[in-house]
Amino acid sequence: MSDEPQPDIVHLNLPLSPEEARSLSLGDMVLLDGEVTVSAGMITQERIIEALESGEDLPFDLQGQAFFHMGSNCREENGKWLPNYVNPTTSTRFDALMPTIIRGLGLTSVGGKGGMGPQCVEAMQEIGCVYFSMPGGASPLLTNGVVERLETGWDDLIEQFRLARYQLKSFGPVTVAIDAHGNSMFQKLQQEAADKLPGILQELAAARQK
Amino acid sequence: MPITYDIIRKASRDLYEWSLKKVPDDTLEALAQAEKKETKLASRRTLQFMQAAARAAETEDRHACSDAGFPAYFVKIGTKLTLDGDIRRAFVDGFEDLVKTIEPPILKFITHPLTMERSYTGRDMPALSFDVIDGADYMEITCSPKALGSGRWADMKIFVYPKIEEIEAYFMDCVLAAGSQHCPPVIIGMGIGGSFDHAAKMAKKATLRKIGSKHSDPMIQDMEERLLIAVNKTGFGPMGTGGDTTALAVHVDYAHGHSFVPVAVCFNCWINRRTTLRISNDGEVTRLE
Ligand code: SF4
Repeated sequence: MSDEPQPDIVHLNLPLSPEEARSLSLGDMVLLDGEVTVSAGMITQERIIEALESGEDLPFDLQGQAFFHMGSNCREENGKWLPNYVNPTTSTRFDALMPTIIRGLGLTSVGGKGGMGPQCVEAMQEIGCVYFSMPGGASPLLTNGVVERLETGWDDLIEQFRLARYQLKSFGPVTVAIDAHGNSMFQKLQQEAADKLPGILQELAAARQK
Repeated sequence: MPITYDIIRKASRDLYEWSLKKVPDDTLEALAQAEKKETKLASRRTLQFMQAAARAAETEDRHACSDAGFPAYFVKIGTKLTLDGDIRRAFVDGFEDLVKTIEPPILKFITHPLTMERSYTGRDMPALSFDVIDGADYMEITCSPKALGSGRWADMKIFVYPKIEEIEAYFMDCVLAAGSQHCPPVIIGMGIGGSFDHAAKMAKKATLRKIGSKHSDPMIQDMEERLLIAVNKTGFGPMGTGGDTTALAVHVDYAHGHSFVPVAVCFNCWINRRTTLRISNDGEVTRLE
């Protein structure tokens, strides 16, 4: 164990303003309140781009909002849609689409797991947008931070691909893994690992001699 | 009394549900050990969060992850048992039962590889692998559903007369390519030798080995040990928080073959979905994990 300081986990309300997004630093751990739109579908993002290009309305307004790469499933209880589970999906697979979406919708936060590529990082810096990384496979605790589903759009798609707007309360903690200043924890770790690789291979060679 | 279609149908259904709602005990133990050793706060917090989520899944009857994956089973059939009824059909119907009855429901993940259409059924679903156990009068079934995040980083390469260092360098390339996108800390399996298909199967089966178990061959034991140290020096850490625990285990297996050597590497994410049960010849079902 090390003796690094234990920073308090602060609450943020979604959607962030671009200024709020810019005030966050890489590695900040935060709890999220407010509203977010989620979807785990590639086809959903393709439709968003089509709508942006044709000027067609989206099922609900996403300008300046939070958009998470997340799948979800709900049940109806007393006229409310309560979550059975939510969980992030790997964001990198949307790398070709997200720069257009971040710019087109002026998103101020994106969430998911595994990070996003350099072109997304660039778009985020331009707009004032951060990436919240959350643990995959910790669904029960993440779901505890979801109050209810407010609405869905594109209901012709399968459940996890629809656009779904949720109310959050103390969702997370999630980590700011790409900030709005061009820094990405994922790129940093990838670079560091690549730098360490020759040394690691030497150590493996030494271990083989034992 | 033979092992019947009905028994296997129910067993395959139950195994899948258990695998979704319980992180195996060896894995929880390994996460707890990793948490003690982690030097980075964010990584420790992530490991704590994972353990708490896993406990909640088990005690509150919830899914550990929303990606329920596609059904995959490993079946070992004792040569002394008797079977009655269609066994493949039992798995197909068992999965259909699961889809109809599991609470909360699972989403559609079975994907047509060419049209990307999603469904609850599909060609060759569940993915079944059969093996025999000589002399045994029981059947063992392991269920390990495969989801996107941990499935997509598997890789394979065919070498000719490779040196061990080439194999290990390739292994590290696979580790770096995956980075932290497969929900680490992961369990890594590597299969060396045999044929193309056999190496892949060995790698997959190696991920199913219990954490802490040892390979029977000392040469492989040493390799597993040094590769685990090497992986954890990369610094990706739990969910990419940059800590010391990128893998909980590296499991290697090998088979003799010819002078071309396929090497397959695959991963299982930290929830390490894996459940096993045994059905004895009198139809008694025992959950092994
Ligand atoms: S890799 Fe595993 S833990 Fe991560 S999202 Fe996929 S199934 Fe869940």
